[in-house]
Amino acid sequence: MMEGDGPRSHARHLFETLDAMSCEEFRARTELADLALMNQGITFTVYSDDKGLEKPFPVDLVPRIIPAHEWSHIERGLEQRVRAINLFLHDVYHRQDILNDGVVPRELILGAPNFRPSFVGADVPGDLYVHICGSDLIRDDKGEYLVLEDNARTPSGVSYMLENRLILTRVFPNLFRDYAVRPINGYASTLLANLRSLAPVGRDEPNVVLLTPGVFNSAYFEHAFLAQQMGIELVEGRDLFVEHGFVYVKTTKGPQRVDVIYRRIDDDFLDPSEFRRESVLGVAGLVEAYRRGNVALANGIGTGVVDDKAVYPYVPAMIRYYLQQEPILAQVPTYMGWRSDDLTYMLEHPSDLVFKATNESGGYGMLMGPQASAGEIDLYLQQVRANPRGYIAQPLISLSQMPCFVEDHFEGRHVDLRPFVLCGRDRVTIMPGGLTRVALRRGSYVVNSSQGGGSKDTWVLAGDRNGGIGC
Amino acid sequence: MLSRHADAAFWIGRYVERAEATARMIDVHYHFGLESPYVGRVLKWESILAIADEVERYSKMYGEANERNILQFFAFDARNPNSISSCLRLARENGRSIRDQISSEMWESLNRTYLEFQRWNVEVVLDQTPFEFFSWVKDASHLFQGITSRTLMLSEAREFHDAGRYLERADQTARILDVKYHDLLPRFTEDTAIPAPPDPSLPDPASVGGPVDTHGWTAVLKSVGAFEAFRKTYRRTVTPERVTEFLILNPQFPASVRYSVGRVDGALRRISGNRELSPGNAAERAVGRLYNDLNYTDAAEIIAGGLHEFLESVEVRCTEIGDAIYECYLRY
Repeated sequence: MMEGDGPRSHARHLFETLDAMSCEEFRARTELADLALMNQGITFTVYSDDKGLEKPFPVDLVPRIIPAHEWSHIERGLEQRVRAINLFLHDVYHRQDILNDGVVPRELILGAPNFRPSFVGADVPGDLYVHICGSDLIRDDKGEYLVLEDNARTPSGVSYMLENRLILTRVFPNLFRDYAVRPINGYASTLLANLRSLAPVGRDEPNVVLLTPGVFNSAYFEHAFLAQQMGIELVEGRDLFVEHGFVYVKTTKGPQRVDVIYRRIDDDFLDPSEFRRESVLGVAGLVEAYRRGNVALANGIGTGVVDDKAVYPYVPAMIRYYLQQEPILAQVPTYMGWRSDDLTYMLEHPSDLVFKATNESGGYGMLMGPQASAGEIDLYLQQVRANPRGYIAQPLISLSQMPCFVEDHFEGRHVDLRPFVLCGRDRVTIMPGGLTRVALRRGSYVVNSSQGGGSKDTWVLAGDRNGGIGC
Repeated sequence: MLSRHADAAFWIGRYVERAEATARMIDVHYHFGLESPYVGRVLKWESILAIADEVERYSKMYGEANERNILQFFAFDARNPNSISSCLRLARENGRSIRDQISSEMWESLNRTYLEFQRWNVEVVLDQTPFEFFSWVKDASHLFQGITSRTLMLSEAREFHDAGRYLERADQTARILDVKYHDLLPRFTEDTAIPAPPDPSLPDPASVGGPVDTHGWTAVLKSVGAFEAFRKTYRRTVTPERVTEFLILNPQFPASVRYSVGRVDGALRRISGNRELSPGNAAERAVGRLYNDLNYTDAAEIIAGGLHEFLESVEVRCTEIGDAIYECYLRY
């Protein structure tokens, strides 16, 4: 938000408003927001003693503001990216042209843990694999947005985007009047319409359900929230069963057929007869019903191959290959452990790089080279040498900082941005905004909620200045 | 509606009602004890254990029955699945598992009640006034019921919730009456002889119509919030027959067994849409049968046949109704 000595122009009014507010007043509003979160059960549990202590998910009340021209660039870039991703998935599960042409190494895809060979040749509605994508963006020191990673399996966080907005409208109604903030409340309707359009032919009033692992899942709040917003049933694996290739839900009026499942369970746990046998979260026979086209899944099976950290470096190549376009959004340069030149560089410059294990997520399996001790680096590089295919490295991008309220004053904290992309049969919809995640620890770059991250409301303005229409 | 969702709605109704009934029961017992010098001999903490069918579990965990232990066991002990603490926790967990089915206000109420409950423990209750604690539990239950009545659609979820709530209420009222009856009419049982009063010049406190008797039956009425309603209905002294009639058979008192069973019957009929006289499934049969028995009997007949036997059969039949509802709708 700050540029040189002062806030960027679109943020000046916000800055002045906050400046005029006393510390006590701001803290009181923060407590109000926390209490609202506690009462709604939007919490996570900290296990300090035998009794788990519940805390609200930290929301920083200072909104992030994105002017219209920046947003339209992001929007076009994400749409291009997700189109390429869907074309890529259709390709690798059918003709595999991109592998045959040597654009993406064949062994990288076929050996990826989330590639599902049993789905090669299977058709999905509208050839869409990814219906909901959450791509993480960062803004570098030159002000350019870069894609850090794509979440093409079961991205979460959209409920926090929606809840943060609700809280901000309650806490700072005046600021909304002063800024023309674009609304984001169409998310659930668009998602529902997209899900309904996936129903098997002839099912005019499709039964759409949301499949959750259950109340103990850390994203359960979001699952319940979305089901409620869409007015669809929130089901667990034990509510469903498969008979003669059709999926049914057990109701008080007997079994009812299910047509579309928005699943928030990873492939591995979806169907014990197909993937992990020990999974008790899934439904035996579900995958076969999907393969036969009797039920639709969103996202489809096997999409994890594209959000593999090892596949990420090839997304720009996919965009060029399928769309014959240059990528609109840049991404972070990436060294790949399976390329010998890259590996040499990685091993020689560890303290300039951020290392990531390709099969980990949520901020785990990382090494922050610039901040790590010599001992930590040595230990980590041993693992890299033992399994170069399992690691990538990227230069440390100095993430942009945003002011956050810390205890009794404002301090800069690193942020990223996760917009949510919805792919329908005919169009791509991106809610103007997204979840701005904050690394709450001073100097930290890790924004994941499991690692001490918080979030902010994200305001996309209708215009470029204060955003007022006609401004 | 999903069977699992219906099951959760049913149990939210039961658990909130059970928390309230438990608070009422201990509250009245506690305050009754303060006012009566005879109570130690007549109304025992053990009878509370008997109402709740908890004698065995309690004696394994605590041994002696005293005020502090009883309070800990019934209000706070997480190892007791029927403690107020457990009921509020389970109601909240069930609420969480169907938060998309119930109104946000209902979920927030269950969640807040659970969170606010955490500020209480035995020491706090005994240091402050137990009255405040019991009132808090009752108020929380009433608030939740009010919110439910105002915000939940007249849907299957609501019918299952009501079925759970009223089945629990019928069962709890029968239990309270059963055990107090056992306590208050020791003459009628052979194994609990009451010792003579220390001063022979005083009237036998436990004689029918004596001070303990009236005081005891009044306590029974108060424990289910029925004292004022009773007075308005009868305008006469409290006798065991009248209390029995009122708590079992009164068609207008919201905690009588008859009224509560009637509400379960109504909820099940709305769920199935069955308007015929004859039942449509095993659950309707079980509840309809009990409701008809209650509609077509009277207090004299019940007492002639043995009040304890009658109440025990009501408790057994409530369990059967619960089982039948499970088999017909909730199994998943």
